[in-house]
Amino acid sequence: MKVKAEILRTYQSVHTWTGICAGLLLFIGFYAGSLTMFKHQLQAWIAPIPAELAAATAVPPQQLIDKAIAAYPQAMAKGFELDIAHEVPYLSWYSQGGARGMNLDNQLTYAFLNEHGELTTHIAGENKFADLIDYLHRSGGLFGEIGHDQLGVYVLGIAALLYFLALVSGVVILLPTLTKTFFALRKEKGASRLWLDSHNLVGIVSLPFHIVIAFSVFVFAYHDFLYDGLGKFYGDKPLFNMPTKTEQPYHINDLPKLELLLEKAHAYSGQHTTVHVSYNRLNSPAPFATLKMENPRALVRGPDTDYLFMHPYTLDVQNSSFPQGDTGTWGNTVATFFSLHFGTYGGNWGRWGYFVMGLLGAFLFYSGNLLWLDKRTRKDGEQKRSTLFMAKLTIGVCLGSMLGVVVTLVLGKTLQQSAFALNELYLWIYYLTFGAFIGLSFWLGARKASVFGLKALALGCLGLPLATMFVQYTNPYAASWLESIWVDVFGGVFAGIFLFAANKTKRRSQAREASSIWSMQAA
Amino acid sequence: METSGQGQAFQADWLSKTLAGMLLGLALAYVSIALFAWYGPGGIDAQDKVQFNMWMITPIWFSIFSATYLFRTGKRAWLLLGIPTLALYGVFFLLRSMA
Repeated sequence: MKVKAEILRTYQSVHTWTGICAGLLLFIGFYAGSLTMFKHQLQAWIAPIPAELAAATAVPPQQLIDKAIAAYPQAMAKGFELDIAHEVPYLSWYSQGGARGMNLDNQLTYAFLNEHGELTTHIAGENKFADLIDYLHRSGGLFGEIGHDQLGVYVLGIAALLYFLALVSGVVILLPTLTKTFFALRKEKGASRLWLDSHNLVGIVSLPFHIVIAFSVFVFAYHDFLYDGLGKFYGDKPLFNMPTKTEQPYHINDLPKLELLLEKAHAYSGQHTTVHVSYNRLNSPAPFATLKMENPRALVRGPDTDYLFMHPYTLDVQNSSFPQGDTGTWGNTVATFFSLHFGTYGGNWGRWGYFVMGLLGAFLFYSGNLLWLDKRTRKDGEQKRSTLFMAKLTIGVCLGSMLGVVVTLVLGKTLQQSAFALNELYLWIYYLTFGAFIGLSFWLGARKASVFGLKALALGCLGLPLATMFVQYTNPYAASWLESIWVDVFGGVFAGIFLFAANKTKRRSQAREASSIWSMQAA
Repeated sequence: METSGQGQAFQADWLSKTLAGMLLGLALAYVSIALFAWYGPGGIDAQDKVQFNMWMITPIWFSIFSATYLFRTGKRAWLLLGIPTLALYGVFFLLRSMA
C-alpha cells in the first residue's frame, strides 16, 4: 500500500514520541498485568493458608454461620465474608480496618470449626501481596493519591491515550511494507533487524488486544469524568436510578438460610456457581450481599468472577454484572469490554493467553525503546548524553521493576514466619530493589547492567522453588505447598529464560556491533 | 520538529493538529454519543445503555485523535473537524429543544 512520504514521516514522529513518553510506564503496567492473571496463585504461594485452618473440619457452611452469629453477634452484623469455594468453609471479618482502600494494617478474624467441631478464631493481618501486584498494574507503581484513586491510575490513563496513538501510527508506518515483511524475521541481517521484525510482528498480531487494552485503561481511569460529561447531554434524566431504602433496620437473627440465598442465585443463572458471599451492614435498613459467581465457560465481568447483588433478607436480586434476557443487550456488551480487558473468558486457557499477550506487550515497549536507541546511535554516529540516559533508564526501569517483584516474592515468603509487618515490608523491598537497580544501571552503564539484571532475574526466579523448600524445611507443618506448586515450576522455567537472555546479551555486547547501544562503553 | 520540503502543502503543525484531535475529537465523540443515546436503538431509557455510551466515547475520540495527523495542515484539521462538530451540536440541541 502506498502512503505519502510526509504522512509516513509524521506518523513516524508520533510513534517515536508517544512510545518514548509512555513506554516505560506501560512496560510496568503490562508485565504486572500479566502477573495479575495468576495473582491468586502467587498469593497462595507467598502466604499459604495456615495449617490450623487447613486442618479445620468440613461442615455445611450454615452450621459455621450459626455458631459464629451466636458467639460474635456484633462483629458478624457489621458484615462478614464467607468462602465456600474450598472444601472446608471459613468465614472472616475485619477486626481492624476495612475492605475499602489499601490499608496495609488491616486485620482479619477468621472463624472456622476445628477438628472437634468447635468454633475457633484466628486473627491474622490481611496479606496484600496480590494487591501490590494489582497496584503496580494499575498505577505503574507511582506514588500519591487524587480523590479516591491513585495518581498513577490517572497518569496511566494518559499513557493509554499515547499508547493508542503509538499503535495507530505504528500500523500506518508499516502499511507500505506490510505484505512484504509481515512474517519476516530476518536473522541474517543482524540483531537490530531481528528486533525490529519481532517488534512489528508482535505489534501487528496482537493489535486487537492492544486496542481494547488501550481504550479500556483510559475508561477505567477516567470513567467518573466521562460520566460527568455525558450527564450534560442527558439533561434532567438521571444517569442511574438509585434504589429506594426501607426505614426499619433488619436484624442478623432473621437472616435467611444460606441455602435459600444460593438457590435464588442459581435460579438467576444456572451456569454460574457461587464461590464467595460477602454480607454487609446486616443490622441496618440497607443491608446487601455481594455474591461472586464463577463460570469458567463464559465471559465474566469482574477480574475473576461475575457479581450478583442481592438483598440478604428479602433475597431479591438488586443488580448483577451479567444482565439476563432481552434487556441485557447493552449490559452484556459492556460486560464484554470488561472481560476483554481482564481476560476472564476461556477459564485457565484464557488466563494463559492473556499472560503471554501481556508479556509480549511488555516486550513491545522494551524492544521499541531499544530500537529507538539503536537508531539514534546510528544516526548521531556517537553516543549522545540523552541517548545514554535513555538507555540506562530503560534497562533500569524495565529490569528493575521485574527484579523488585521477584525479590519481594522470595523475601516475602521466607520472612512469612517472622514478626515483620509484611505488607509494609513488601512495599519497602519492591521500591528498594527497583531504586537500587536503576541506580546500578546508571552507575554500570546499560550494557553491563542489562547482563547483570538478567542474571539477577534468573537467580531470583530460581529462588522461588528454593524459598518453598526453605519454608517447608524450617516449618514442615506451615502449610500446604502443593497448592501453589506451579508457581515453583514456572519460577524454574523463567530462571532458564532469563539466563538464556543474559547469555545472548553478553555475547552481543562482546561482538560490539558499531551501531548498537550494546557496544557502548559504560559512561 | 519536522517540516516538509519546499512547495508542498503538507505541514507538520504539531501543536494545532494535536489540539484539534484532542479537543474537537472529544467534542465530536461526545455529541455523536449524545445523539446515539437519545435517538439510537433503545432510546434514552434503555437499561444499562448509559454504561455502553460512556464506554464508546473513548474509542471514538481516540480514533479521531489518531487520524488528525493525516490532515495536510493544522488549519484544515480545525476546519474539517470543527464544521461537523458545530453542525452536530446544532442538530442535537435543536432536536432536544423540540422534544
